[in-house]
Parts: sequence; structure tokens; C-alpha cells
Amino acid sequence: MLQVLLDILSGLWETSGLCGLVDDPWKLAMIFVSFLMMYLAIVKEFEPLLLLPIAFGMFLSNLPAVLTEDMIFHAEFWNEPQSAEWFWKVLHDGGLLDKLYLGVKLQIYPCLIFLGIGTMTDFGPLIANPKSFLLGAAAQGGIFFTFLAASLMGMNAAECGSIAIIGGADGPTSIYVSSKLLENVDSNLSTGTIALAAYTYMALVPVIQPPIMRLLTTKKERAIKMPQLRTPSKTEKIIFPVAVTLVVALLVPSAAALVGMLMFGNILKESGVCDRLVDTAQNALMNIVTIFLGISVGATCTSANVVNIDFLKVLALGVVAFSLGTACGLFLAKIMNWISGGKVNPLIGSAGVSAVPMAARISQKEGAKVDPTNFLLMHAMGPNVAGVIGSAVAAGVLLSVIKY
Amino acid sequence: MNLISWASHLPMLAGGSIDGQNRPTVDEYLGVTFAGLGIVIAALALLVFIIFLFGKIFDALDGAKQRKEAQAAADKAPKTTGKPAPVKAAPSPAPAPAAAEDDDEVIAVISAVVAMMSEADGTTYRVKSVKPVQSGFGGRTAWAMDGRRSNVSPF
Repeated sequence: MLQVLLDILSGLWETSGLCGLVDDPWKLAMIFVSFLMMYLAIVKEFEPLLLLPIAFGMFLSNLPAVLTEDMIFHAEFWNEPQSAEWFWKVLHDGGLLDKLYLGVKLQIYPCLIFLGIGTMTDFGPLIANPKSFLLGAAAQGGIFFTFLAASLMGMNAAECGSIAIIGGADGPTSIYVSSKLLENVDSNLSTGTIALAAYTYMALVPVIQPPIMRLLTTKKERAIKMPQLRTPSKTEKIIFPVAVTLVVALLVPSAAALVGMLMFGNILKESGVCDRLVDTAQNALMNIVTIFLGISVGATCTSANVVNIDFLKVLALGVVAFSLGTACGLFLAKIMNWISGGKVNPLIGSAGVSAVPMAARISQKEGAKVDPTNFLLMHAMGPNVAGVIGSAVAAGVLLSVIKY
Repeated sequence: MNLISWASHLPMLAGGSIDGQNRPTVDEYLGVTFAGLGIVIAALALLVFIIFLFGKIFDALDGAKQRKEAQAAADKAPKTTGKPAPVKAAPSPAPAPAAAEDDDEVIAVISAVVAMMSEADGTTYRVKSVKPVQSGFGGRTAWAMDGRRSNVSPF
């Protein structure tokens, strides 16, 4: 009788989550990290729309479950090579978050998010001042110089590309590139850890950028007032997405999916005849995809993926990528200011990293600190939206060059 | 390491030239870094040119359209009156701004507003001077400035 009772209790213990926690104490550490992220999202409001789903996904996937069929996410599935049998296994044996993660693995969510971003973006400041494109391009230096730094740290090409794209300051692009590059490569990194680092640093743009901006510009440069931009016509705004898609798809076909969806969203908006579709793309669709993307990417942040030296390298190189991108944009803006005879405020260069609209807001804020009557926001929005296009092109270049 | 080996990493010339599984060689990572950045800058520079060109074309078209409209209005006027339409003076003259530099467009706009007000309430106004207000924060009162700041505070 006593033996039967002990056997039952023992069986219950072995199948309980508590036993799982004892077996892998790092899971407990990851749960605490998810709590910290929830705190940052809710109390500090650091990118809450994405950080909170990511944190909760991390919390769910690190809850210990001994029985495989009880697990909500199976990290081991995603290290296997993809095949028809593999898809069947994910769909049949996978948990809820495994099935949602297919949208990331198949690069569906990042493109749909770009569609939503397209419907919310006004490219007017960029059309009015096309030179802003160059600032958006220069800021992508952060991506390519970080590729070099990661190579020097001994990482393989797929890992270098996945980490470097963090410098684009664009979450969906980081997910798109890393999910492709890391697909069939033996690596400790996952799309989840790359996304985690990317969104963390995007939330920290107001902390990372201002010291670099103040360091690389003089007070006199920061006080420069720029002339008011012209207002582009509706026809120009309609031609713009078509022209950009055409040029990018012809030069860098790998970027066509991202840029194509971004510009599709934009032409829906600018056409003025698809209000219902625009409304759905920028509200309902965007919100649904953000929820699925956030929670499933967060689920990939298991202790095995995060508690390793490579994740520390990702964090270190991520901040390098952001800083270099900011510095490259500022340098080009300084050169443009010099060439134009003092007509370009170099602060708008840092907005070339594509954290929209945060980076443009930082330019505005830093300019207003020197002269409260200086309004740089619209001038900074040009490089800012150019950065979105630039990071998508840079992503296309990486995907074209690196075999995955 | 030479330009040819760098060029071989250009996506237009060679797709997937670097094995993702291996650590990039010196040639490869320098190639990706500089060729990659070069391609991004070249692609966006091409877009600068195209968008700039579109801007010029549309500005020229707008200018031509405005000239055409002005011409049409000028052609139409003699047919209805038989002689050039007299330019109706603004109800109130707008003297040159005292402190600001002369700007015909600004004077025309102010005169138009005054004329509109005059027509609306039947009163004749006279603009004596137009001065830029420079007191406070760029011509705004402290309250106006505070209101503007609160509107853009997230920025």
C-alpha cells in the first residue's frame, strides 16, 4: 500500500514541471529574464507591443514539461533540416507555438509586417529631398562593418550575416535574414536570439544614439536650421513605390519580397482608393501578425539558445552594429553639410538607421536641445524611411552573397 | 585579394558565393563589407537620381500648367471686356514691410487676406506695417511655445 502510494507520488513528481526545473535550472533563470522583460515592457514601455509578446513567449517555452506532447514549443524541431516529413512532424506533433513559428521560418510574418509599415509610411519627406536616400544607405555601414567584426571573432558566414543585420535597426528584416541564413547551418544562434537583440537595441535607440550624436557633431552644426521641404504631388507619391520596387528588384532580387511588400502597402495608401485594405493592413493584420511574431519568436529563446557565449557575442556585436550605423550616417551628413555650405544639419544622418520613427525623433530632440525653435523632424524622416529601404537592400545583398 | 575577387562576391555576378557554414576568409569578409556597402549605396544613389528626375519633370509640368492657365485667363479677358481687365486694387494698400525684406508674394498674401476680411464685414482696412515678431521663442509667446512643445514632446 505504502509502496503504491510512493510510486504514484514518484510518478507525479517525474512528470511535473518542478522536476523539469530541477533537471535544468537554467530554465528558471530564463523565466526570471522573461519577467524582467515584462517589467521593461509594461513599466518602462520599451517597445511594449513587441517586447511583451516576446517576453511571454519566452516564459511559455521555458516552462518545464517532461512529456513531449505537453510541450507548447519544441526547440529541437527547429535544428533539424527541413523536408516534407519535417513539416508533417511540426504540424502533427508540434505545440501551438511551433505552428505559429512556421510563419517566421517561412518568412511570412516579416513580409506582412512590411506591408503594414508601408501603409503607415509617408515617403513625402524622402521624395521632397531624394538626397536623404544617401544617408539611409550610409547608415547601413553598421551592417557591413559588423559583418567584418563578427568574421574576426571567428563566426561562420551565416552567423556573421545574421548578427550584422541587427545594425539595420529593423526587426522584421533581422528576422527575415536570420531565419533564412540559419536555416540549415550548425549554429548556437537562433532567429529568436537575433530578434531579441535587435528589438532590445531598437528599444534602446534613445540611450545609444544621443551620446554618439553629441560626440561626432559640434554645437554649431546641431543648431543648423534646414529650409522647409516642398510638398510632393500625389502622382509622385504613386510613382515612387513602383519605381523603388522596380529598381531594387532588378538590382537585388533577394530584397524584392521585403521591399515589394513595403511598397505594395504604400501604393495602397497613396492610391486613395483602397481605404478598406489600408485600414485592415495597418490595424487588424498588423496587430495579428505582431502577436504571432512576438510570441513565437520569444518561444525560441530557450535556455539552450540563450545561455551560451555566442549570445553574449550577439549582444556585444549588436551594440557595435547600432553605433557604427549611427556614426556612418552622421559622417555622411557632415560631408553633405560641408559640400552644401552649411545647409544640412548632421543630426539627420543618424536617422538613417531605420528604427522608424524613433531615430528621427532622437534627431529632432537633439536639435531642439540646442535651439528649441529648430524643427528637424520632417528632415530626419527622409533618411529614416530611406533606412528602411536601405536595410532591406542590405538584407538582399547578404542573402545573395551567403549560401544558406 | 584584388578587385576581381571582390567583384566575384557581387550578387549580380555570383549568387551565394560564400558558404554559410564556414568562417569567411579575409577576401570574403572584405569583399562582403565593401562590395555590399557599395551595392547599397549604388542602388539608393540610382533611386536618388530617378526621384530627383521625377521631381524636376513634375515641377516643369506644374510650371507649364500654371503658365497655360495664366495664358488662358489672359486670352479670355479681352474677349469678355474688349480691353485688358483693369487690375482691381486691393481695398487697402500694403506698404512695404518696415523690418522685413521686401517679398511680393508675402505682400500679395497679406493683401488678399485683408481684402477678404474687408469684403466680409464691409470695413476698409489699412495695413500700416508688417514686422516679424522676434520676442520670446522665435516669435511665439511662452504659452504658444509650451503648447507646441507638449504636442511634439515624444519627439
